[in-house]
Amino acid sequence: MSSRRARSRQSTSSSRITDEQINDLVSKLQAVLPEARLHGCLSMQVSAAKVLQETCNYIRSLHREVDDLSERLSELLATTEASSAQAAIIRSLLK
Amino acid sequence: MQATKSFEQAFLKQMLLGIQLSAVSHGSGSLQERKSAIKLSADVAMAVARGSKKWTRGLIASLSKEEHNRSFLQFVLGKEFERPAKICHSSWKIPRSKNIVRRSLRFLSKRKSNIRAPNSSVLAGTLVEKRTQVLKRLVPGGQSMDAFSLLDETLDYATCLRAQVDVMQKLMTTLEASKHRADSDAQRPKEKFHLLAMVGSWYSTRKGLRKRLSKRPKLTL
Repeated sequence: MSSRRARSRQSTSSSRITDEQINDLVSKLQAVLPEARLHGCLSMQVSAAKVLQETCNYIRSLHREVDDLSERLSELLATTEASSAQAAIIRSLLK
Repeated sequence: MQATKSFEQAFLKQMLLGIQLSAVSHGSGSLQERKSAIKLSADVAMAVARGSKKWTRGLIASLSKEEHNRSFLQFVLGKEFERPAKICHSSWKIPRSKNIVRRSLRFLSKRKSNIRAPNSSVLAGTLVEKRTQVLKRLVPGGQSMDAFSLLDETLDYATCLRAQVDVMQKLMTTLEASKHRADSDAQRPKEKFHLLAMVGSWYSTRKGLRKRLSKRPKLTL
């Protein structure tokens, strides 16, 4: 206990600010996760461990989506004719 | 990261450039080759569109470790991507500033790790520690980050990944739609007319795009 107090005495003001910032980051991270939108951001006291776990799962699923989309895009680009591909690309640029 | 729209547009432009580049080099390759080329374009586009963040630097560094990625990276990044042999270790910035960057990063992480010790309230427990380790592996460049910057970078990385997926999906939908139209209009002999007709029908479905008409000269291919 005393050692912890001694450590915190070294950087009291900055450690308090950082604590708030960490909480802020954790709640922001929670807001980004897909399940947060389902719960309507009602739950205030979600454990950091849960948020971290959900974040890991979310990032992994996004990686898988990118992988899948890359595969489908490469198939599409191989079979699409040049002119229609160019038109599609121009259209996307103007979006 | 607030400005998602500008990020999406920058990402799309970079991605299309990358796709065209990879089509030149891998156009006749296997499906696996083409798929990795597209994935590389997407990741580089995401890093370039985001700019300078720890995770973007980490991403470029890990991509440049693969030999077959280097020519693409060199072409896209140009001057900023110096001799590959020196880059593998920390950042992809030019070598002469690498020591300064390394020193400042070490200093920053030392300071932050001192602050981290008393903050046992939010990030306490072995479970958090375990999850943090997993997260460090998932976020590019995460291994060298302290807990605070890891959270910050993760937030940024997750939003960019989401935008990447959304843009790639939109691109795919557009390509599929144009493909169907091309297949059904196969009887039309004049390709140019066909091209303009497609674009014209798209214009007519969008209201208030008069200002975009100035871009039409680009479309006569």
